[in-house]
Amino acid sequence: MKQMRVAVVGAGGIAQRNASETARSGAAVIAGVYDVNARAARELARSLGGTRVFSSYREALESADVEAVLLSTPHHVHKSMTIEAAAAGKHVMVEKPIATTTEDAEEMIHRCRQAGVALTVNYSFRYLPKVRRAREIVESGALGEIAGVQVVSHQFKDPGYWMGGRSNSPDDWRSSRAKCGGGFLIMNVCHTIDYLYYITGLRGTRVYSEYATVASPGDVEDVVSVTCRWGERAVGSISASSVMRGADVSEERIWGTKGTLVLDTGGLSFYSTRPAGGKKPGRLHREAKFPEVSWTAEWVRRFVADVRAGRDPEISGRAGWENVAFITAAYGSLEAGRPLDVPSYSASVETPELVS
Amino acid sequence: MSQLLDVAGALYTRIPPTHRPRVKRVANYFLLRGAALPARRPVCHGRRVVFVDFESADLEAYEFIGPAKGEALVRARRSLVSPGTETAVLRGLPGARRSFPYVPGYSVCGRVERVGRGTRGLEPGTLVAGRMAHASHGIMTPASMFVVPDGVPPEEACFIELGIIVLQGIRKSRIRPGTRLAVVGQGLIGQLAVRLARAAGAGPIVAVASSLRRMASAMKPGGADQFVALEGEPDAVGGISAEIVIEAVGSSRAITTAMEAAREGGTVVLLGSSRDLGRNLDWWEIAQRRRLTLVGAHIGALPSADASAGRWTYRQEGCLFLDLLAANRLTVSDLVTWRASPAECNRVYEVLAEGGGEHVGIVFDWDHLAAEAAGNRGSRNAS
Repeated sequence: MKQMRVAVVGAGGIAQRNASETARSGAAVIAGVYDVNARAARELARSLGGTRVFSSYREALESADVEAVLLSTPHHVHKSMTIEAAAAGKHVMVEKPIATTTEDAEEMIHRCRQAGVALTVNYSFRYLPKVRRAREIVESGALGEIAGVQVVSHQFKDPGYWMGGRSNSPDDWRSSRAKCGGGFLIMNVCHTIDYLYYITGLRGTRVYSEYATVASPGDVEDVVSVTCRWGERAVGSISASSVMRGADVSEERIWGTKGTLVLDTGGLSFYSTRPAGGKKPGRLHREAKFPEVSWTAEWVRRFVADVRAGRDPEISGRAGWENVAFITAAYGSLEAGRPLDVPSYSASVETPELVS
Repeated sequence: MSQLLDVAGALYTRIPPTHRPRVKRVANYFLLRGAALPARRPVCHGRRVVFVDFESADLEAYEFIGPAKGEALVRARRSLVSPGTETAVLRGLPGARRSFPYVPGYSVCGRVERVGRGTRGLEPGTLVAGRMAHASHGIMTPASMFVVPDGVPPEEACFIELGIIVLQGIRKSRIRPGTRLAVVGQGLIGQLAVRLARAAGAGPIVAVASSLRRMASAMKPGGADQFVALEGEPDAVGGISAEIVIEAVGSSRAITTAMEAAREGGTVVLLGSSRDLGRNLDWWEIAQRRRLTLVGAHIGALPSADASAGRWTYRQEGCLFLDLLAANRLTVSDLVTWRASPAECNRVYEVLAEGGGEHVGIVFDWDHLAAEAAGNRGSRNAS
């Protein structure tokens, strides 16, 4: 398979990881680096073995040596940078979330489709072996009909996190709702929502949330509670906070008429009344040993393979849109003071008259 | 040896996390004694402030190896909190991210209890000031230790490191008698800058702050002539028109404010530890058109030796700071707004992490801790 030549755009904290894992994937080579902070771009280029530094985003897009851009930039510029890349005929690999609104996500999808370039969103946690195993268990019918999905995501984000303290290019965009689209839910829990969609095959259909900014700088939420309906009948909740001191929890429980599946930081546990997943029925099974893999590198490998085969990417713009649709409906429900239906992708996006 | 350490490291990772602190303590116990014994140096004991996590401090017992030649074992009397630097670490701000546990503090006054074998010219009982963590006992090295002149109380001498930080900035600003000066930021560094600028002959001096909360201490005798709070009156900065502006915050916003407060052809001295990136600035309008001069004046650029006329050494600045205190040309103890027992350190740093309130100078009183310990021993003996 021909390697894809990727321009790394953004050289902050996550960009460094994305770039090195892209290079490690074997499916892509780094064609150059660009960041508004030229020093950060130079440092990243050096750490990647001395690749080229672009002086502007335009220069990266005009380079014939670049096939795709890897955008690890603040959320509010994902849309404009994607549209520019599509117009220049470059494939787009964008960091999650795809955008801060469904309208922006929709336009990104349309523009990429019109330009004939591929668009993928970095929801690479799907490639964690634990997550893939969970999907396999659910697909085997071990849980029966899914009745509930519960997420507890409690951790501590220090004040510096919101000001770029973990980055080599400090900036306070993370603490701005206008730039970030929200706080802990859209910045962090979005991964969990995405892989729960992936594992269960269900989509959030109605949500109501309460959220607040209690301790973090800026106007983005650091505590949020969401009540939601999954698909037709399942019911669930999300309790998430970035001000949890000393008792971090990351746990997702999926339960159904025939069994229960619990994912946590150490692995997964499942129980089924059926002999599913190669295990005996009626017992609680624990699986904690999974191979160490680079989920980001796997995301890159799959994307390149899909593009080379002329397929839509496995994690497409649609996945990004659906994720943002859930999250923005959750935020909107507090403002509306009532539960909101989560818009459905097929109804609002794929309707021909909406395509500009 | 390195193979041994590799093996030890590999074994350590196999220990359950809940047992690791105890194993670490035992290992440190033997490692410390293993290092102290061949050097014929004692193992000393003390208590120190430790940041145990983001926004959380505690006082803990600790052990360390006694002084080497030239060094002194110092029993602390007062230590000064450096609010900007220590809060930045406590909150994980850009440029100040450290792993925890972290031992803060670097400006202490105390009495020499013991000197290293072969040390000359320094006697036990001497009052010294210099770089040391917030601890009841610790080691001061000759390079960063100053003998405190007679008449300077520990509460003033413990300002030594912050005094040096500010003095080298004042020197680089080239203040002349009668210079119209503005100081942006009225935390401890800003208020010290006002006082040292006045000692250097500057005046009138305008203190610029985001709010009014530190006005009372900023306007004390020896302080500023005028106080400008930008909260609710952001345009006031344009009317300051100072010949020299000292920026004492360390943010791009404060640097912008400092440039706006300077008159045409003025000088802006960057004294604060900058922790963010300035972006989207109109450099033409803010600096070029108005012919501003920017002067970098961070302590990190201070030479330890080889001074020139305009560039004094660390030692020269430290001696001058103590001399100014001894001659009563400078007073700093009235900047102390909280004299805390080290046992209160958790509360002190919680207040700092929340913005510091009205506090300017916070000093840990280690005599208080010693008195408490003596009292406890007394009550135990009595019972």
